[in-house]
Amino acid sequence: MELAITSLGVVSPFGVGRGAWDDALAEPTEAAERAIRSESEVLAAEKLPNTRTAECWGFDPKEHLGKRGHRTFDRLTKFLIAAAKHALIDGGVKDDEGNFVEGAPGPTQIGICSATAYGSLDAITELNLVAELEDPRFINPSRFPNTVVNAAAGYVSIWEDLRAPNTTVVDGNCGALDAILVAATHLDVGRADAFLVGGGEVVSEPLYRALARLGVVDPEGQGATMGEGAAYVLVERAAEAAARGASILGRLTGYGTAFAPPESQALLVHGSADAVERACRDALAEAGLEPSDVDVVATASSGVAPMDAAEAEGLRAVFGEGTAFATPKALHGETFGASGAFAMAAGLSWIGGAPVHPLTQGEAPEAVRTVLISTIGYYGNASAVVLQAP
Amino acid sequence: MAAMGRVFVTGVGVVSPVGLGADAFGQALQAGQEATAPVTHFDASGLDRQLACEVKDFRPRDHMSAAEAKRAGRCSAMAIAAARMAVEGAGLTGEAGGSRTAVVLGTTMGEANLLGQLESRWIHDGEEKVPQAALPRYGTTLLPIHVARAFGCRGIVQTLPAACAAGNYAIGYAADLIRAGRCDRAISGAAEVIEKLQYAGFARLGAIAPEHCQPFDKDRRGLMVGEGSGVLMLESEESVVRRGATPLAEVGALGLACDAHHITRPHPEGEGSIHALRTALEGSGLAPDAIDYVNAHGTGTAANDKVEAQVLETIFGERQPAITSIKSMIGHCMGAASAIEAVSCVLTLNDGVIPPTINHAHTDPDCEKLDLVANEPREAEVRALLNNSLAFGGYDAALVLAKTGVLPGAA
Repeated sequence: MELAITSLGVVSPFGVGRGAWDDALAEPTEAAERAIRSESEVLAAEKLPNTRTAECWGFDPKEHLGKRGHRTFDRLTKFLIAAAKHALIDGGVKDDEGNFVEGAPGPTQIGICSATAYGSLDAITELNLVAELEDPRFINPSRFPNTVVNAAAGYVSIWEDLRAPNTTVVDGNCGALDAILVAATHLDVGRADAFLVGGGEVVSEPLYRALARLGVVDPEGQGATMGEGAAYVLVERAAEAAARGASILGRLTGYGTAFAPPESQALLVHGSADAVERACRDALAEAGLEPSDVDVVATASSGVAPMDAAEAEGLRAVFGEGTAFATPKALHGETFGASGAFAMAAGLSWIGGAPVHPLTQGEAPEAVRTVLISTIGYYGNASAVVLQAP
Repeated sequence: MAAMGRVFVTGVGVVSPVGLGADAFGQALQAGQEATAPVTHFDASGLDRQLACEVKDFRPRDHMSAAEAKRAGRCSAMAIAAARMAVEGAGLTGEAGGSRTAVVLGTTMGEANLLGQLESRWIHDGEEKVPQAALPRYGTTLLPIHVARAFGCRGIVQTLPAACAAGNYAIGYAADLIRAGRCDRAISGAAEVIEKLQYAGFARLGAIAPEHCQPFDKDRRGLMVGEGSGVLMLESEESVVRRGATPLAEVGALGLACDAHHITRPHPEGEGSIHALRTALEGSGLAPDAIDYVNAHGTGTAANDKVEAQVLETIFGERQPAITSIKSMIGHCMGAASAIEAVSCVLTLNDGVIPPTINHAHTDPDCEKLDLVANEPREAEVRALLNNSLAFGGYDAALVLAKTGVLPGAA
């Protein structure tokens, strides 16, 4: 795998765009304090009085999508479109007016590989409430497409006029990294010249309630902080990106994924150290690297103890105890299906000179050139990607 | 055999509204059996429509262990059952797994009925009445997880929720993964269940027919919602040769595009669909006249049928291949549709019978150039075919399937 990342578009608790993201990562402690709050803008206080979330505070879709045409879009769709718009401009594919730039990939040459784990849950719940409390015949048909999980990315293609393949990936917390495999495969086959790769997730009441009952999120800090947002990187074949003179932020050079079920037939939820280890080893092998070549591991650690422990065991089996392990989710919360995209964004900032913080083990070198991104799913799957400096 | 990089179908499995297993399914299709009947999965009396193509004789415990049946929702259970049939058909029972076997499945809404049950309980009885242990059972990502567990697969496990094109997406992409050397085998296909909210949504969109699904008929009134699962066992040439397996078909190229036009309606000139079909043909090294049969998306909605007919006219010109829509019999199984139809396509390649488009009385003048296999099955040697699909989100996906030895480069 030799793919060039030529831009980043991100909607996060730190704001919208690569600049806001890089500024936050440059001052990570302050950024985390701004991002993680106990007064939700999304969750109704009368229903959920005690929450802790990292929301895209003050996100105003009109600033990014204009005043019209998005009334029926859900929050995820708006995040994805804003992230895509910024990524396309950042990558020199579109100008500030939204026009395609000559010499860069055009509308039929750009596709989307977008991940989410729970993307349509909020829309489904909204319509289920109407159906259950009123009458199924009162369901608003203009909202119905939002219940289909690939609709959000489909709207991005429509909004930005991207006519190459659009693929949604739902692989739990591993989705955004698995979307890289999908994009790499499409590029190999020649289905497009560039892909927006990443994903999005939103804070919502049904998700918060369900994950709070399961102990995954916790307002007292005993679990993950639910985050939200969207992040896309523009990925191109390295040679072509260089040929068009694109600014290359990083390179994706290896991917690995693995699955291992729990021993017990009765269990479903399972963090697998074995899967983490195999995913990392496969990603390194594809990149032609040894574990000692990695400057920083962007872990998936989120505060969910059994998952964190399984990942740490798998990572230590590969890297030992000397390599720097960072926990970017401590800054912006758990974004589930999109988390691999946010970790890529963090990795790009570190390669760009941002301090690697916080760390759970080791020390990062001053100049970070190689980052391994690790994700672990709740059902025994794990994926890893190697991100390298240009 | 052919050069390396070829991908073969060595087993098929299907849970459909007209029968379980390839034999029953194939016989029902050839007999023109229609599954349309009153909805029984939920109370549809308050809705504007009450008919669907349900899978009525599916009992998970007939196909899996008690533990599997307890873990899996209905959608995953149908996927496991179809996968088991495909694995057994391929002669891989007990040896399908390992880290080099991928599981790639598509769907539209996955375990939608589980979510519906959980939310109904929450809305009416309160959060505390929702059983905590049931919460992790909802998740679209679980379909391939359950299947991977069932067969000991330990490598790539992916869900591609590509709405009504999800089967083609999953099968074509899984074949890509094998060609790229990412895996040697793949259990690939799709599954979908009929669920109240989704049914009500289609009804509110005015998309469901009142009596029958009548693709390409001028009196068509819409689609019929269906459900089920279709799974193909895919293998690399090296794997097939090593085992001495007998392939059922070869997988050609997957053509993909996005209309970027409307979230639910196809592009009026079918631009994306034309691109998908052309690239599927080009990627397979086939000219249009090498295609003997097209399994149409054929939903029975005016928006689909007219555009699809126009697209096929553009691609094939005066020499139209035989075309049919088995959705007239099994309904539109949404995410599972093109996977179940892929199973039907493999059967046609092997038995030389194209199933009919039933309920056909008067061809829509806009579809008159199609060589529709209307009402009765047609015996024909089909050497190569296209499985066409379109979906919510403006997705266009077309997959070439062929008899072994037909695609260029075959020995």
